[in-house]
Parts: sequence; structure tokens; C-alpha cells
Amino acid sequence: MASDAITVPVGQIEARPWVDELHQWLTTVDHKRLGILYMFSALLFLVIGGVEALIIRIQLMHSHNNFVSPEVFNRMFTMHGTTMIFFVAMPVLFGFANYLIPLMIGARDMAFPRLNAFSFWLSFLGGLLLYFSFLGGSGLYGAGNAPDVGWWAYAPLGARAFSPGHSSDYWTLSLLVSGFGSIGTAINIIATVLCMRCPGMKLSRMPLLAWLNLVMGGMVLIAITPLSAAQIMLLIDRYLGGHFFDTQAGGSAVLWMHFFWIFGHPEVYILVIPAFAFLSEIIPVFSRKPIFGYPVMVAATVAIGLVSTSVWAHHMFTIGMNSYANSFFAITTMAVGVPTGIKIFNWIGTMWGGKIQFKVPMLFCIGFLFQFLIAGLTGIIQSCVPFDWQLSLSYFVVAHFHYVIVGGILFAIFGAFYYWYPKMSGRMLSERLGKWHFWLFLIGFHLTFDVMHIPGLLGMPRRIYTYEPGRGWDTLNFIITIGAFIQAIAILVFVANLIISYFKGARAGNDPWDAWTLEWSISSPPPAYNFATVPTVASRRPLWDLKHPKDPDSRYE
Amino acid sequence: MATLSTTEQLGQSPRAPREIEVPASTAWPFLLALGAALLFAGLVTSASVSCLGALLAVAGSVGWFREVLPREHEEAVPVLPEDIRLITDRRVVERLPVLPDQLRAWLPVHSYPISAGVKGGLAGSVAMAVLACTYGVLKAGSVWYPINLLAAVAYRESSRLGPAQLYSFHADAFAIAFVLHGVVSIFVGLLYGAMLPMFPRRPIVLGGLIAPALWSGLLYTILGLLNPLLASRIDWLWFMASQVAFGIVAGLVVVRQPSFPTRENVSFVLRAGIEAPGTMPPRESGENH
Repeated sequence: MASDAITVPVGQIEARPWVDELHQWLTTVDHKRLGILYMFSALLFLVIGGVEALIIRIQLMHSHNNFVSPEVFNRMFTMHGTTMIFFVAMPVLFGFANYLIPLMIGARDMAFPRLNAFSFWLSFLGGLLLYFSFLGGSGLYGAGNAPDVGWWAYAPLGARAFSPGHSSDYWTLSLLVSGFGSIGTAINIIATVLCMRCPGMKLSRMPLLAWLNLVMGGMVLIAITPLSAAQIMLLIDRYLGGHFFDTQAGGSAVLWMHFFWIFGHPEVYILVIPAFAFLSEIIPVFSRKPIFGYPVMVAATVAIGLVSTSVWAHHMFTIGMNSYANSFFAITTMAVGVPTGIKIFNWIGTMWGGKIQFKVPMLFCIGFLFQFLIAGLTGIIQSCVPFDWQLSLSYFVVAHFHYVIVGGILFAIFGAFYYWYPKMSGRMLSERLGKWHFWLFLIGFHLTFDVMHIPGLLGMPRRIYTYEPGRGWDTLNFIITIGAFIQAIAILVFVANLIISYFKGARAGNDPWDAWTLEWSISSPPPAYNFATVPTVASRRPLWDLKHPKDPDSRYE
Repeated sequence: MATLSTTEQLGQSPRAPREIEVPASTAWPFLLALGAALLFAGLVTSASVSCLGALLAVAGSVGWFREVLPREHEEAVPVLPEDIRLITDRRVVERLPVLPDQLRAWLPVHSYPISAGVKGGLAGSVAMAVLACTYGVLKAGSVWYPINLLAAVAYRESSRLGPAQLYSFHADAFAIAFVLHGVVSIFVGLLYGAMLPMFPRRPIVLGGLIAPALWSGLLYTILGLLNPLLASRIDWLWFMASQVAFGIVAGLVVVRQPSFPTRENVSFVLRAGIEAPGTMPPRESGENH
């Protein structure tokens, strides 16, 4: 193995004054630095959003609690949801896409490096704008007030009559600003994947990570644009006398719901498809087998992308759509489970008969497989309209959603951090701390989100500030809160691992996992130009071909 | 492939450049983003913030244009020596013994023709029908009883039959049950024909036990929706026995049919029917097929 064969390029370890360093980061157009900036900002907001989650959980820990006021509670769940989706999940996935796609397709940078920088800064400044609302929510001369209308901001709650001041405007404007950034990034990803591949890398030879991010980029264009349009319409309603969502003046509150969920449900797949991409790269390497059913994996991803744009109104079964609409969206929601199931079968097929190495990245991927399966099943359950009528707006839905986002996507993101951190930093993350992180997070996750289904089934509504004793919710909520704190401890272990390993971790070498894709063929961290000579590939696993010249994949593909 | 850029290669290879031009760092995108954010922030703070944002946005736009026009601003980065060794400590590769003359193959290597699935399905359907009718005679005293129950899956009139009528012959119900049984059996037989080659070691275990058990488990959960009449009167022991009978007979018939090699492992040229020199891989001795 080549783990001790690397020499880190001298130019990259020269100490510079911190002002110069800061200037470099502010002005960089290098996809790798921008990728790291995306991830760093996401981790920052993860900690903030995590603290908000803990405040919510402390408030709900027992009945008749008044840890925070109802007003603060409303702000906490609004900011938590908004932060985690728009300023944690999307940026971290964009960060990985930015960092990895050019390296995996043998390119020297993204297609539009300056647009890349512009997109990142828009996204990040959008997040800062959102949090500035704590200070300036009612304007420069008023008291601070963060948004408190929930992360959907359903009409008419977003109207001026029900949301005076500027708190909702901060929500609208920050999502608008970061949305432009997301669109820029999506355009960049699509152009890079389609136009920047190295010689020999046909679409059929592309790493699955690039394929899946291509689909994700297309979905961002489809999903974010209606959200941005809706935000502009809401601003027109609030300040220019528009009536798009004003039911008393001929507008439609349901229109807002459609706009939001046309964005909102594909958004789940925008987040989970890159998570699928991580699994599709990590599982083969730690199973020591090529991915099972590459063409089917690509087809299933495209199918998910297409079908998932026609499921949005399953979030709206309770608003009173007609039976045809209910049936259509129930069927499409069930249908999207088919290609998703195919992917799960293929990952298991990849592991089947392989020499599985239970390293930390693989542990997180295995956790994903089980948890995402359960999350998918509770999703299918709720696609049945009568069942949804019973459980809509209950904690069952909150548990399902967090099973997808945390049990699925976040686990995959953690796996990706452990897998590619050596490439980004040149240092290995500690396996011991990584396993502590994994097991603590796994226990905390299941304590929180397994149990959370039950109060939902017992009728506990989401966003409830507090509750009466004697409903059977107290003990369950106490357990959920304990689980949340265990997850927080696990995150602290993860952050400590990132920091400690950066300074004291073992040298990674260029290829610590004995992997097969192009990013492992260059030094860790990679030089500014990525590849001294642009590679030419002849199969989906170019490094396998190099390591096994007598039995290359290229002979069989 | 040319992914290596070792010290030696950099010194010797005419392809390895000394310097590589990459896009130059620039503050204009950051300035434009900051300007845009302030422009929007001014809507909820103060007009002066928007003015500042607009100013920065214009400056950023102009700067950005000048950065890429008339020629993109790039900077030369010296190529650094890298000592990359792409080797593996897992030289030995374990393989499934699928084909004697190939290291790898698309599975399944052999498959059955569609006719095998049809024959298996029809044979299985006879076995299942015999067992079901035996159940009808022994348990209900009428061979028509299971046939009427089956017809109720798709035929509303059958589902309305009273207890006494269930034991008598109804031509319409018989016809529907006959067609239904035959069509479903053929489809399941086709599924066996497609799946059994993927589990070549123990086809009867799959076809005769595992598949009927899975199928019966699925039906156990949804039979109330599909056929409430059958669900209320079903004898699960006999039902399972008839499923197993179908599976074993269908599986045996399918695996006894002649199989043929799948063409997944040959090149597209050969699959397209083109015969020309060089279309087959050479043997190890160098001799062509």
C-alpha cells in the first residue's frame, strides 16, 4: 500500500501570515478550497442548528415546562428547520460535490470557477443574513426577532397581518439569496460533469458520485426556482400590495403550499441522492468488490429524479384535495420507493460475498442502509391517504422526516467525512474516536427518533410548545431528549476528531483505502492543479486497472 | 493511463509540464455576492445598506467582467514533485468459479428459454389444482368450492355467492377461475424461468420452499383486500401445501428444460450477429478462436 509513499508538496505547507491566509480563502476560486469552505460553513451552522434542537428538546422534556417562552420556542423550531436544510445539508453536500467531482472525473477545476466562488459566498451570506435577524429582526431600530413561522411559512401565516415586523422577511430574503447560490452551484455541477471529463471517461465510465450529482444538479434547477419565485411573490404580497397568497382578496393559500412543496419534496431527494452517491463509492471499496449493477444504479437514480418531481402534494393530503389528486400522489409516492429499493438491493448485492472491512466510513454506510430502509417504509406508510390523515402534523411525521435526514443523509455524510478527510487534509481521522462517534450517535439517534414515532401515534402534534401531564407522553419525551444529548456528545467527539487529527493524525498517503477512483491517484491534499498530466481512463475503476494490469476492468466493460 | 506524476516522470516525461495555468484568485465574486446580500438586507434594515450593496454589486460585476474579458486571468502554478505509488497489498483476487475460460462473467451464465417458464407454470398449475380440488372434496365435500373461492378474486358475482351456492358448479365462475389460475401460473412460471438460473445450486429450495413461503406471507397480509371471501374461509395449511406443490413441480419442470448460454458475456459486435476476424478475444496461447 502506498500510505507511506507520499510527500506533501512543499509549497502547500509553507507558513503564511494569517492575513495572507485569510485573503487566500476569501479570494479563492479553487474548487477544493471552496468545497472545504462549504463544509466548514455547514459544520458551523450544524452546531448552531444542533443547539436550537437541544433547546426544543429541553422544552419538551417534561410536561408544563417553561424553559423558554412560546415565542422563543417558535423561533427555535423555525430556525432549526431552516438552518439544517438550507445551511447545513445543502452546503455540505455541495461542498463534497465541489471537492470531489473534478478530482473524480480527471478535471483541473469546476467548469466555472468564479461562479463557484460567487455561489458559495451567496449561500454563506444568506445564512448570515438569516441569523442577523436575531439582532435586527424588526429593523435596525427595533428589538431583534428571528423568524417564527415554521420552515414552511404557510400562508396566511407569512402575511403581514399575522407576521408583522421583519422576521419573516429575513427568512424570505435569506432563502432567496442562498437559493441563487444553489442555482449557480447546480449549473456548475452539471456543466462540469458534462463538459470537463478526462479523455476516456464516457458517461458509462463515470464514477457513480458524478452521475448522482449530475441528477442532483438537474433537480436543484427544477426545485429551487419555484421556491425563489414563491419568495418573490411573498415579498410582493407583503410590500407591494400583491394578493398571491391572500385568500380574502382572491389569492390562494394553497398556491403557497404547492409552490413550497414542489420545492420541498424534491429537496429531500436533492439531499439524499448525494448521500446515495457516497454509499455508491464507499461500500464497494470496503467490500472489496465493484458496485453491483452500475447501469441499474444510474437508471434508478434518474428514475428517482423524475418520479420525485411528481410526489409533492403528499404533504398536502389533509388540505382537502379531490380523490383523483390524492390517488395520483399516493401512487407516485409509492412508486418512488421502487427505484430506491433497487438501490438498496444493489448496495447489499455489492456487499454480498465481499471481504467487508468494518472501518468507520463503512459503519456509517451500514447504519444508513438499515435506517434509510425504515425511513422509506414509514414514508410508504404515510403515502396511504387515510393513514396520513391520522398522522399528518404529528410527531410521527417528525420522526419519519428525521429518520430520512439524520438516519439516512447525515449518516452518509459522516461516512463521507471519514472516507475523504484523508484526501482533503493528508491526515487520517482517528478510528478510535470515529467508532466512539459512530456508536454514540447510533445510540442517541435510535433513542431519539425510534421513540419519537410513539408520541406521534399517541397524538402529540408537531410544534407543540408544551403538553398536559398524564397523556403518556412524558416518559417518551424524556427519553427522546436524553437521546438528543447523546447525539450532541457524539457530534462533539466528531468535531474533536476533525481538529485533533488535522494536527496529530497519521499521514494518509495518496491512497489509504486502496481505492479505485481518480482522486486517490494524486497526493493528499491534492495540488492546486489536481493532475500534473490529465489522465486517460479505460474503465470505471481506473486505479484497479493500474493496480491489476493483468486483469483490468477495461477488458470487461 | 497517465495519472502518475512521480518525480521521475516529471523529469523525464515530455507530457508533464513544468507549470500549469489555473484560474487566478480574485475577490470580485466575493464582492458581488456581498453586494447582492447587502442589497437584499437593505430591504429590511436601511436604504443605505441597499445603496452600499448596489455599489459593491456594480463594482463586483465590472471587476468580474474585467477578470475574464478579453482574456481569462490565469496564474501559472509550478508543478510540484509528487511521489505517488499506485500499488495494492491485495494482489490475490478471489473469484467465483463461473466460467472455466473467463476470469469474470455477467451472471447468469446460462438461462432457460421462455417456453421453459411457460411449461413449468402450466405443470405447476396442474399440481396446485389437483391439491386444491382434493382439499375441496375432502374438507368441503365439493370440488367446486375452491374454484368458486378463487373466482371471487376478480368476479363480483362469485363474491356474492351464499354458503350453499359455494358448493355448486357455476360456469361463469369456473371460466374465470380457470383463466385466472392459468394466467397467473404462467406468469409465475416465467418468473421461475428467469430467477432459477440466478440460484443454480438449490433451485428446488428456492422454487419449492422459499418462494411459496414468501408468496404465502405476502398473501396472508393482503388477502383480505384482494379476496375477502377467500380470506374468511381459507385453510392456510392446505393453501401452503398447494403453493409448495406448485413451486416444486414448476421448479422441477423448469430446471429439466435445456438451458442456453446467455450472451451477456460476449461483445456487442457478436451479439449483433457480426462475424469478422478479431471479434473473439485471443486465447492465452495467442491462438485465435
